[in-house]
Amino acid sequence: MEFLQENILLLIVFTPLAAGLFILLLPDDEKTLIRWLALILSFIPLAFTLYAWFNYNRWEAGLQFQIFAEWFPSIGSNFHLAADGISLPMLLLTTILTPLAILTSFNIDERIRVYMFLFLLLETAMLGLFVSMDLVIFFIFWELGLVPMYFLIRHWGGKDRRYASFKFIIYTMAGSLGLLLAIQVIGLSMGTFDIITLMDRWVNFQSDTLPNTGLPVDVVKNVAFWAFVIAFAIKIPIWPFHTWLPDAHTEAPTAGSMILAGVLLKLGAYGFIRLVIPLFPEQAHVAAGVLAIAGMLSIILGGYAAFGQWDFKRLVAYSSISHMGFVVLGIAVMAWVYGAEATNGKMVSDAIYATNGAVLQMFNHGLSAAAMFFLVGVVYERTHTRQLKEYGGIWTVVPFFGAALVFTSMASLGLPGLNGFVSEFMVVRGAWNPFTIQLALSMLGLLMTGAYILKGIGFTLHGPLNPKWKNLKDMTMREHLVIWPLMILMLSIGVWPRWILAIINDTVTRIFT
Amino acid sequence: MSEELLTVFTWLTPAGPLLTFFVIILLFNRFKTLSWVLAWLGILSSWIFGWTVAFNIIGDFFENYEHLVENPTVVASSIAWIPAGTFQQWLRIGVAADALTAIMLIMVPFVTTGIFVYSVGYLRWGEGRGVNPVKGKPNHDGIDPLFSRFFAFMSLFAGAMLLLVVADDLLLLFIGWELMGLCSYLLIGFWYARTYDNPEATPPRKAAVKAFLTTRIGDVFMLLGIVFFYRVFGTLTFTDAFTAESLENAVNLIGVGLIAVMVLLLFAGTVGKSAQWPLHVWLPEAMEGPTPVSAVIHAAAMVSAGVYLMLRLFPLVAVAIDTVPQAGIIIGGIGAFTAFMAATIAVTQNDVKRVLAYSTISQLGYMIAAIGVGAYIAAAFHLITHAFFKSTLFLGSGSIIHGMEHGAEHVHDHHTDPQDMTNMGGLRKKMPFTFWTFLIAGFALSGFPIITAGFWSKDEILAETWFEGGQGEVLAFIIFWALVIGAFLTAFYTMRQISMVFLGNSRTKLAEHAQESNRFMVVPLVALAFFAVTLGWGGIPEDFPIFGPILKENFFHEFVGTTVEATLEELAELGVISGGIEAIPTNNFPLIASITVALSGLFLGWWVYGRKSLETGQQDPLVRPLGPLYTFLFHKWWWDELYQKVIIQPTKTFSRKVVYELVDKGIIDGTLHLIGRSVFRLGYYMKRFEEVVITGGVDWLKDQVLSLAQEFRTIQTGRIQEYILVSVLIGWALIVVVLLINSGVLDGILN
Amino acid sequence: MIPLWWYLVVAALLFCIGLYGVMARRNAVAILMAVELMLNAVNINLIAFWRYTDPADTTGMAWAIFVLAVAAAEAAVGLALIISIYRSRDSVVAEELDTLKY
Repeated sequence: MEFLQENILLLIVFTPLAAGLFILLLPDDEKTLIRWLALILSFIPLAFTLYAWFNYNRWEAGLQFQIFAEWFPSIGSNFHLAADGISLPMLLLTTILTPLAILTSFNIDERIRVYMFLFLLLETAMLGLFVSMDLVIFFIFWELGLVPMYFLIRHWGGKDRRYASFKFIIYTMAGSLGLLLAIQVIGLSMGTFDIITLMDRWVNFQSDTLPNTGLPVDVVKNVAFWAFVIAFAIKIPIWPFHTWLPDAHTEAPTAGSMILAGVLLKLGAYGFIRLVIPLFPEQAHVAAGVLAIAGMLSIILGGYAAFGQWDFKRLVAYSSISHMGFVVLGIAVMAWVYGAEATNGKMVSDAIYATNGAVLQMFNHGLSAAAMFFLVGVVYERTHTRQLKEYGGIWTVVPFFGAALVFTSMASLGLPGLNGFVSEFMVVRGAWNPFTIQLALSMLGLLMTGAYILKGIGFTLHGPLNPKWKNLKDMTMREHLVIWPLMILMLSIGVWPRWILAIINDTVTRIFT
Repeated sequence: MSEELLTVFTWLTPAGPLLTFFVIILLFNRFKTLSWVLAWLGILSSWIFGWTVAFNIIGDFFENYEHLVENPTVVASSIAWIPAGTFQQWLRIGVAADALTAIMLIMVPFVTTGIFVYSVGYLRWGEGRGVNPVKGKPNHDGIDPLFSRFFAFMSLFAGAMLLLVVADDLLLLFIGWELMGLCSYLLIGFWYARTYDNPEATPPRKAAVKAFLTTRIGDVFMLLGIVFFYRVFGTLTFTDAFTAESLENAVNLIGVGLIAVMVLLLFAGTVGKSAQWPLHVWLPEAMEGPTPVSAVIHAAAMVSAGVYLMLRLFPLVAVAIDTVPQAGIIIGGIGAFTAFMAATIAVTQNDVKRVLAYSTISQLGYMIAAIGVGAYIAAAFHLITHAFFKSTLFLGSGSIIHGMEHGAEHVHDHHTDPQDMTNMGGLRKKMPFTFWTFLIAGFALSGFPIITAGFWSKDEILAETWFEGGQGEVLAFIIFWALVIGAFLTAFYTMRQISMVFLGNSRTKLAEHAQESNRFMVVPLVALAFFAVTLGWGGIPEDFPIFGPILKENFFHEFVGTTVEATLEELAELGVISGGIEAIPTNNFPLIASITVALSGLFLGWWVYGRKSLETGQQDPLVRPLGPLYTFLFHKWWWDELYQKVIIQPTKTFSRKVVYELVDKGIIDGTLHLIGRSVFRLGYYMKRFEEVVITGGVDWLKDQVLSLAQEFRTIQTGRIQEYILVSVLIGWALIVVVLLINSGVLDGILN
Repeated sequence: MIPLWWYLVVAALLFCIGLYGVMARRNAVAILMAVELMLNAVNINLIAFWRYTDPADTTGMAWAIFVLAVAAAEAAVGLALIISIYRSRDSVVAEELDTLKY
C-alpha cells in the first residue's frame, strides 16, 4: 500500500502508455482481443484514480502524492508530479471518459491496434499534464497530446479530415510556440522550471532586468503572459480563436470528439488556473476584464453560431464553445481577485464561487459534451447523415435514444437538477459583481443555449417520422454501457454536487485565503 | 404534531411525485395501469403530507394566533448544498412552511390529484377499440401508447411545483421552477409527431419550444436577480433574508433603487412564467398539449408559480414598490395591461381552450396588478380561487372536446375541428355534468356576485386598487379601471363561451352525437367545481354586510397575513417602508362596480350569443359592430407576427448569416486561410528557389565533373601490360629527372 | 678478379629481358616466366653486392634465399590463377583479360 501511495501518480499517468505499448505488440488481426484488452486495461488508471480520490486528504488540501526526481539537471528541470483538488477532478474525468471512448470505438475496424495505442497515448498525455508541476514536463505533455489527436482525426475522421486535422495541429502548434518561448525565458532567468518555486520566485522577482538574459522584467512578464494566454485561449477555445474546433469536432471519429470536447479543451482552462493566474497575477488582474469580455463573446457568439447550424455535430461543437465561455468567465473572476492588491470577504467569496464554478463547469462540460457527441455519433452511425433536416420524428422508433438525448441536452442546457446548472450558477454568482455587464449580456447566450438545444431535439426527435428511418434500431447494449455512466454522473452532480465540489472547494478556498 | 415530524413531512411533500417519475421512467414504462396507479400513489402521498402540514399551520393559527404572527415560519430546515469557502459559507437549500405555503399546499395537491384522476380517463378514452395506436399523436381509438410517459412527466411536473412551494430559498425554488419549464416543454410537446394541414396552425412541438424559450427569457433575468439577491443578502434563504434587519441592511448597502432593480429582475421570471405581456405569447399555444396538461399548467402549477414567486418575495417587493414608485408602476401596469389585453383577445377567439387560455392570462394580470399596488393577500386569494375554477374550466373543456370527438368518431367526420366553438352548441343536454360544472366555474370566473369564489377574490383586488387610487396614486386609478373593463369583458366572453358551447342548437353532426365523458373525468370536475364556489367564503371581508358578521373574521386575510405581517410592521417601524398591510375598509364603489360589470357582462354575453342560437356557418355577431377592431383582436393584437418579424427571424438570420457565415467562416477563417495561403505561397517560392538555384547549381557542377570523367575514363584499358609500360616509362622519366637534378645540369634553369 | 659492375650489367640485362617479356609477351605463362627472370636478376644483384661488400654478414644471402622462396610461391599461385582463368575464359592471352577496364 505504501508503494501505491507513493507512486500513485506515476501509476495513473503511465499505465495507459504501458497498456498502449503492450497492445502495439499484438498481431493486427486479433481485433476482438485488442478491443477488449484496450477496454480492460483502460480501467486500471480509473482504479488508480479512484484510489487517489479516496486517499486524498481533504484537510490538507494542497499538493499531494508528490513525485520528485532529477530529470534534466543541466537546465534545472525536474520530474515533478503532484495533485490537488483541481487536478483530481480532471484526472477522474479523463480516466472515466477514456474507457467510455474506447467502448464507443468498438465499431472501428480499420487498424484498430494503432487506434487503441493512440488513444492510450493520448490518455497518458492528458493525465500527465494535469499533474505536472514543472514547466518543461508540462510542455512535453502538452505537445504529446496533440500528436495522437492529429492522427486520430487524420486517419479515422470524416470526409474533410485532412483540412480539419491540419487546421487543428497547426493552430495549436502556433499557440504553443509562444508558450515554449515564454517557458524558456522564465526557466532560463529563474534557473528552475518548478511551478511551485516559480510561483514565489518569478512572481516576486524584484529587479528591472532578468538575470542571464538582461531583458527588462516588465516587458518580459507582459509578453510571456500574453504568450501563455494565447496558447491556452486557442486550446479552450476562446472566441475568436475557436474556428478550429467545429471543424475538428465535425470530422473526428465519435470517440475522438468525446475526448476532444471532454478533456482536451480542459487542458487550456487548466493551464489558466494552474499557470497563468498564479504566475502572472498582476497582469491577469489587469487583463481580467478582457478575459471576461472574451468569455462573454464565446458564450454569446458560440450560442448564436450553434443555433445557426444544420449539421448536428457542428451544432454540438459550437455549444462547447459557448459552455467553455462560462469557464473563461469564471477564470476572469479568479484572475481579477487573485491579482487584486486588496480584497475583502465578498470579493473572495465571489472568486471562490467563480473558480469552483469554472472547475466544476470543466468537469460538467466534459460529461455532457462527451455524451452529446456520443449520441450524435449513435444517430450518425445509423442514418449516415448529420443534417438535422434529414432526421425527423425518430423518437417513435428509438425511444431510449430519445430519452437519453433529451436528458443529455437538458444537462447541457443547464437545467437545474442536472450538473450544468450548478456550475453555471456558481460562475454567474461569482461574476455578478466584478463583471455585471459582461454577465448580463452573457445571458443572451444562455437564452440561445435553450434555442439551439431545442432545435437539436426538435429536428431529430419531434415531428412526423421520416419514413426513411422506419426501421431504425434503438441503442445497443454497448451503447447503453457508454451513456448510463455519463447520465448517472450528470444526475449525481446535479442533485448532490457536494461529492465533487467539496474537494474542489477545499483547494480553491486555500488559494484565496 | 411535533416539529421534527412536520419538517420531515414538508421534505416529503414533493418527494412522492418526483420519485414516481423515476420509478415509472426507469422500471415501469411498459406497464400502463401500474403507471397511473403509481402516479396516483405519488400524488396522494403529497396530498396527505401537504395537507397534514397545511392543517397543522391552520391549527396553529386558530390555537395561537399571536405566536404565529411572531413566528410565521412553522417549519424551516436546510442542508448545505453547494460548497463554497468554509463550511459556514456553503450555500444551503431547504424547505419551510408558513401560512402562504399552507394555502398553496392545500390547493396544489388537491387540484393536481383531480387532474391526475381526470387524465386516466382522458388518455384511456375509447379503450378496447384500439388498433395500431400511433406514438406521439392523439389517438382516438385506444389507449395512448405513451400513457406511462405521460404520467411520469405529470408526476415530475407536480413534484416540481410542490418543490417550488415548499422551497425556503431562491435556488430550490428555481430548481422547481425550471423543472416545470422542462415538464411543460415535454408535455406541451407530448404529441410530438402531430401535424396540421393548416400551415398557420402551430403544431405541439413548436408550441413546446415556444413555451420553453419564452419563459426562459424571463428565467435568465431571474437568474441574474437571484445572484444579485445572493450577493446582497449573502444568503438565498427567505427566512434569513426577509427579516427586518436583513432587509434594512440590504437597503443601506445598495439603496432602494438597486433593490427595485433586483425585484424587477426577479419579476421578469414571473412575467415569463405567469405569461404576462410581453412574454404572454406562449400560453395560448401551450393549449396544444393534452387537456390535463393545460389544466395543470394554467391552474395548479406553472403560471401560479410566477405569482407565487412574487408573493414569496413580498417583503422585498414591498420595500421596492413602497420606496420606488416606478417599480410598482411597472409591475402593476404590466399586470393591468395584460389583464385588459388578454380579455379583449378572449372575446374573439373560437377555440374552446384558447378562450380559456386568454382568460388565464387575463386573470394572472389581475394578480400581478394586485401585487403592483401592494395587495398581497388579494393576489394570494385570487391565485387560489382561480386555480380551482380555472382547473374546472379546463377539465370541462377537455370533456367537451372528448364529447365532440366521440361525435366525430360516430359520424366518421375527422375534418371538422372538435375544438371550435362554432361547431358546437346544445351540449347542455348531452353532457349535463360537464355543463353544470362548467357553468359554475364560468360564473366564478366572471365574478358572479356573492355565491362564487371568483367574486370575492376579484372584488378584493378591485377594492385594493380603488383604495390605493384613493390614496392619490393616479396609476392605481388607471389600473382599477382597466381591471373593471377587464372584469366586464371576462363576464362577457365567459357567457359567450357557455352560450356557444352549451346553449341553443347543435350546429354540427359532431355536437349532435356528443356524449358525456367517463366517470374518471366527471368526478374531479364535480369536486373541483364544489371548491370553485365554496372557497370564496373563506375570504369575505369582516365588515361586508350580512355575510361578514356571520363569519366574524376574514379567515383568509388573517391567516395569509401572518406570513409577512410582523416583518412589514418592523420594517415600517425602522422607517424602511411607510406602512404594513392591514384590511382596507369596505368601500361600496368598487363593490358595486364589480357586481355591475359581472352581471352586465354575463347578461350581454347571453343577449348576443345565447338568446338566439347561432346558425351553422354564421358569422360571429361581433364582427360587424367591431369591424377592423375585431380583426385586430382576432389576431391577438398581432403580437406573434410582430415577434416573428422583429425577434425570431432576425435571430435566425443573425445566427446563420452573420455569426456563422460572415464572422466565423468569412472573417476569422478567412484571415486564417489568408495566413495559411501566404505561408503556402512563401513555401512555394522557397521551393522554386531551391529547385532553380540550389538544386540547379549543384546539378550543373555534377554534370561538368561527369563529362570530364567521360573524357578520362578511356585511359583505363584494363590491360595490365599497358599499365606496366606506362609505369615503367614514368619510372624512367622520374629517374632521369632525379639524375638530372642531382647532376646539377638543371641548376641553371631552375634558378 | 672479375669486377662487380660485370655482374651488375648481367643482372641489368637479365632484368630488362624480363621486363620486356612482361610487357611484350601475350601468353600469361610467358609473362610469369619473365617475372621469374626479373626476380633472378635481383638475386644476382643481391649475391654480387654481398660477395663484394661484406662477406662476413649473411644478410645478402638470406635475402636471396627469401626471394627464391617467394618466387617459387609466386610461380605456384600464378600458375594456379592462370589455370583458373583458362578454365573460365578459355584463354591465357593477356590482352583479352581486360575486365578491369572502365
